[in-house]
Amino acid sequence: MSDGEQATTADSAVDDIPPLKRDRRSVFTRLTEGLKFIWASKTATVGLFLVLFWVFVAIFAPLLTPYTPLEQDWKNPNIGPSKAHILGTDELGRDLWARLIYGARVVLVVMPVTDNLWIPGGTAIWGVIVALLVGTTLGLVSGYHGGWVDEITMRLLDAMMAVPIILLYMIIMAALGASAINVVLAMTIVGTPGIARLVRSLTLDIRTREYIRAAETRGESAWYIMFVEILPNARGPIIVDAMLRVGYAIFAMGTLGFLGLGIPPPSPDWGSMVAKGREFILSGSPWAALWPSLAIATLVVGLNLLADGIREESMRYQ
Amino acid sequence: MAKFIVRRFFLLLLTMLLVSVAVFLITEASPGNVAKNVLGAFITPEQEASFLAQMGLDKPAHVRYTHWLLGSDWLADGKVGLALKRVTNAEGFVDWWAVRPNGDLVRWKLVGEDLIAVTQPAAGGEAVESVDNERWQAGTDGAQFAWGVDTANHVVRWEKGTDIEVWSFVVGTGWMKTTGGPVEYIPLKKGFIRGDPGVSLRTGRPVADTIFTRLRNSVVLAGIAFVIVMPTALLLGMIAGLKEGSLKDRILSIGGMMFSVIPEFATGIFLILIMAVWLQIVPGATVFGEKAPWERLDMLILPVLTLTLVELGYILRITRASMVEVMKSPYIRTAYLKGLPYWRIVFKHAVRNALMAPITVIMLHVNWLMGGIVIVEVVFGYPGLGKYLLESALFKDINALEAGAMILVLLAVGTQLVADIIYTFLNPRIRYA
Repeated sequence: MSDGEQATTADSAVDDIPPLKRDRRSVFTRLTEGLKFIWASKTATVGLFLVLFWVFVAIFAPLLTPYTPLEQDWKNPNIGPSKAHILGTDELGRDLWARLIYGARVVLVVMPVTDNLWIPGGTAIWGVIVALLVGTTLGLVSGYHGGWVDEITMRLLDAMMAVPIILLYMIIMAALGASAINVVLAMTIVGTPGIARLVRSLTLDIRTREYIRAAETRGESAWYIMFVEILPNARGPIIVDAMLRVGYAIFAMGTLGFLGLGIPPPSPDWGSMVAKGREFILSGSPWAALWPSLAIATLVVGLNLLADGIREESMRYQ
Repeated sequence: MAKFIVRRFFLLLLTMLLVSVAVFLITEASPGNVAKNVLGAFITPEQEASFLAQMGLDKPAHVRYTHWLLGSDWLADGKVGLALKRVTNAEGFVDWWAVRPNGDLVRWKLVGEDLIAVTQPAAGGEAVESVDNERWQAGTDGAQFAWGVDTANHVVRWEKGTDIEVWSFVVGTGWMKTTGGPVEYIPLKKGFIRGDPGVSLRTGRPVADTIFTRLRNSVVLAGIAFVIVMPTALLLGMIAGLKEGSLKDRILSIGGMMFSVIPEFATGIFLILIMAVWLQIVPGATVFGEKAPWERLDMLILPVLTLTLVELGYILRITRASMVEVMKSPYIRTAYLKGLPYWRIVFKHAVRNALMAPITVIMLHVNWLMGGIVIVEVVFGYPGLGKYLLESALFKDINALEAGAMILVLLAVGTQLVADIIYTFLNPRIRYA
């Protein structure tokens, strides 16, 4: 997350940009080869299973529980695991397993834009995608254009990076109000400077290559060169960075939810479930706080194990 | 070097200015109503208008920002015609007075058609009330008006014959309806850059009083965690880095990774459940009230432990990576080949270089650490700066929010500057032009 780290990933990444070569093998062979790669590392395998578990329950959530996340069993509030409720219920008698897996859905599979409009792609995923779009554009423009555009953009982004992230989150969310869209917006504002820096450093390197000179000589427009010539050649490090950012986005989403700045109740959100459940721990019903904490912990640890394993394996191949 | 520090110092000031403007604008643009937050949802429009006028919140945004930054007394004393002075009274409240040429302090109030001067003699003693109708001036439209300092720290303009009803809200008492209200208010403050962050709208007390206690509490928490984390993480990181790929290394680095990526609130909940609910050895929440945190050390254990675990993993991994790199470098191989004993190679040759990266990264990590502290404070109900800031942000308490934001930015940017300077001492190859 710090400057030093980002600079090193960017520098080392510039050197091993893969040459443009179309892979003509079938999708299936490529997939099994990728899996073999992950299989070779124990940590990556464990990580993959953890992540797949959450993706699976998120996608099939409606089939995995007889309850909805909002249904209240008002006779049984704050009970532990039982036959009727496998993980117990919260303070309003809502089934915790149902809330947990619908919560995974909000993180990974759907994003509640309004009460009636839910778009595919989880809130955390959208947070990364929008930040990528904005950050990549800024990075490309300031890296390729250079000069005063570069100077102004980078100084502004530096100033943004100097501001403590938690302060940015608090002010943005307190000002905009809690909603899924605003969570995505906050993640975008916080994520953009880092991505822009990475893309800029990649662009500065690629800009000097012959094929860019050739495209310029052909008279291609600046936008064409940036998005068709430079961006595809910088994709490797950007994708790796984006994968790490997914884990961080889930972390951030949980944190926002916990502070009461996330997706507003009653919709199931892991962070806000913990915040609510925390009040009942010392009165003897720890379940409502325990399960969502465990859920977010296993998901981010899974993602990081996967990323670590893949990185170690690829280093071994080199 | 001096030039570099001066330049960075100005950049720090510039960042703080930009952030203060941004915080102000964002809070300004946001929906929500401070008057309703302070006074509840059932106030009448007259009460709301009266409150906003007294707080100076009816003025345009740029005027309010200038008042916040530079203060308003220098602007107001020209209107009163006397110098203004801020005094802290016996009960610890801040009072503003006008100063007569002979040194007497004076304030005014309006009773019917008469302006009453409340004079506090410079020699001390009881305040004296006297009728002071010489201050009335004739306005352009014929109405008579007077500028003066009222008894609630505003410079105000009274108009003769307009006996306006004022609703004032006293925290803890409720609504008070008084007469003799002025037509215009300028709330008096010294301004942020002169060391007065203003009065918190949420608590009705000066921000400066609260925020330093809160900051002290947070610093205690972070300080204890830091003292524990640093040696432990550096030691464990070195142990892990010495034998890359060994079982010890795997356990330490995967464990470190897990603790550093799990959100702080989840770690906190796990610790509460294990230590406070299951084993019942420490309290699971912090209740301090007015007491200083070090008076109940047992309550500090869980917050410190949470913060320690989260930070431990991060620093451990950096130390490990740095150690691995150093142990592979040619000069270490040379030392081996010279036949130096293993521990001498490690402590004399490897450690010095391996610790350079972690120490600077830790300083850059302060930005990150703040996020952790805010969460830990919320999890354990610890009365620190982060919790104060969160509550202020949710309340739209602009004075408190600005002050807290400035402290955080100062800490974040300031530590980075310090890190850069320390780095030049650790690594003499680096020079700043």
